[in-house]
Amino acid sequence: MDGDPPRSDTAPVSRRRYLRERRAREEAESLLDQKSRELFVANAALREQAATLEDQVRARTAELTRATAAAERANAAKTAFLAMISHEIRTPLNGVLGMAEALNDTGLELAQKDMLDVMTASGQALLSIVNDILDLTKIEAEQMEIEEIAFNLHELLEGVCRLHALKAEEKGLSFERSFEFGSDRRVVSDPTRMRQVISNLVSNAVKFTLRGSVRLEARVLSSAEACARLEVRVSDTGPGVPADKRDRLFQPFSQTDASITRRHGGTGLGLWIARRICALMAGDLVFDSPPDGGAVFVASFRLVAADAPETTGLLGPREAEAVLRARPWRVLAAEDNRTNRLVLHHLLKPYPLELTMVGNGAEAVAEGRGGGFDLMLMDVNMPVMGGLEAVALIRAHEAETGRARCPVIALTANAMTHQVEEYLRRGIDGHVAKPVKREVLVQRMADLLRAGGAAG
Amino acid sequence: MKGMVFTELLSMAEHALGEAAVDDILDGLALDNDGAYSAVGNYSCGELMRIVSAISDHTAIPVPELQRRFGQWVHGRFVEGYPAFFADKPNALAMLDAIENEVHVEVRKLYPDAELPTFETEWHGMRALTMTYRSDRPLVPFCHGMIEACVAHFRQPAEITVTEIGDDHARAARFHVQLTG
Repeated sequence: MDGDPPRSDTAPVSRRRYLRERRAREEAESLLDQKSRELFVANAALREQAATLEDQVRARTAELTRATAAAERANAAKTAFLAMISHEIRTPLNGVLGMAEALNDTGLELAQKDMLDVMTASGQALLSIVNDILDLTKIEAEQMEIEEIAFNLHELLEGVCRLHALKAEEKGLSFERSFEFGSDRRVVSDPTRMRQVISNLVSNAVKFTLRGSVRLEARVLSSAEACARLEVRVSDTGPGVPADKRDRLFQPFSQTDASITRRHGGTGLGLWIARRICALMAGDLVFDSPPDGGAVFVASFRLVAADAPETTGLLGPREAEAVLRARPWRVLAAEDNRTNRLVLHHLLKPYPLELTMVGNGAEAVAEGRGGGFDLMLMDVNMPVMGGLEAVALIRAHEAETGRARCPVIALTANAMTHQVEEYLRRGIDGHVAKPVKREVLVQRMADLLRAGGAAG
Repeated sequence: MKGMVFTELLSMAEHALGEAAVDDILDGLALDNDGAYSAVGNYSCGELMRIVSAISDHTAIPVPELQRRFGQWVHGRFVEGYPAFFADKPNALAMLDAIENEVHVEVRKLYPDAELPTFETEWHGMRALTMTYRSDRPLVPFCHGMIEACVAHFRQPAEITVTEIGDDHARAARFHVQLTG
């Protein structure tokens, strides 16, 4: 097979070779033709399939868009429903807690007092759950608002510590605190939300620690005048958080262990809300696991240094009580809800006030125009005429007659920051959130009465 | 079997024996289509074996040897026609290793009905490879020739050991290829 090929390119091709080549060519052409047809048919089928697929994709995309919109609507509706129902729960809860507080003043026997304590604690627990859910709905609807108020940082932290130190002592835990700033440090931030976050962390630490200590350390990190950062470190000697459960710490509705819900209760929303609040306040909330056990949570918040020192210090609880007892102040209260009227009545019963109760804004205007009141408590949402409208008419009347301006406290349920600002612009002097707490109400009333008394 | 194998076999025979001799061989065989093969057609493997046998008779070269030379010839045609397969391989072993999972994948895209042999490979370090060939056709010597040509193509000497396996002779074999240079 490797020898010289006995062939010549110029030699004529034999007939048999010609026929053989021709036959092979014809066969190849026939095959080509057949393949061409097959290709044509396959191409047509592919085009049709592509068109069908595109139609299906379009239809599915439209379905998906509709489904997404429906899911978003349903979710928004669920959030709105949660907010509404929580709000609805707070009104009767206001009645329960208010009446419990009032009942406490009626000279109860020791056993009755114990029962009342359980009732109050249960009511407070329910209120904190409802508040958690309201916060959740606000955060989900991106309506959580952060206030900027000047306050004393030391006092705020000391207040949180006082609140939980007692509980810690009862459990035999030592409660330590250290603040790396002076007791007169004033800052601008949202004290309510800051208190909520720190209180949540300290409360958790006390709740989960069986022996040892709970420690709160606070320091202001950057001392730049305009802007600083507060870091609050809450550490405990409790069981800590297992490594595999740490990623669930800040998930909503998630507790690291189902048994926690059984043993300690809670909604599992606290840390999620706390972290969101920290983020809204340009800070963060992180978990740190120290090598020697226990848990450490570090919350940070942006602070703005307060411009001027406090000039008109708020009254202490005793001073406030003293102001209310000083004379028979004439107070007009407008509140449409009968339960809330009863609560107000009982909360203010210990003081020698001349309390006039009306059921809507129109009645408040009628009474208010008569004059002679030192202070008004005004529910915002009332039938016939709302509180804001009533105040506007009263202010107009005061301006016409040249009568002294009567301070008004709005009683608000779940008011948003921007709403409160709006109230203050529209002739309201202060607000107290429902469920009304006696201490807060008395303080606010005393502040305004003292200012009014001083002026008059 | 793909027509290309027939046209290449006849092409090799014509190259060595001349057109007239090949025509004589084909005329003497009473083939189904009188020996008219196109590269794109499909023909029975039995006809190929008959042609190989007739060429062997004509040249007095034993059939296995003829198959081996044909394997070498076809390898040369592959290098000419599909240089891309060879370009990115560092040596013959890598090329042999790629037949099953690279070359045959491409062949099946073009010819979904192709009946291909299988080539299982097993590496022994970086310089030795065992390739197990299994086919429905008795073409072990043809495969041997292809492997020899592949080794020659990469210009790196290697020792090739063939062990026929299975009951059917020449349908399955284990080729051990050890680089020596």
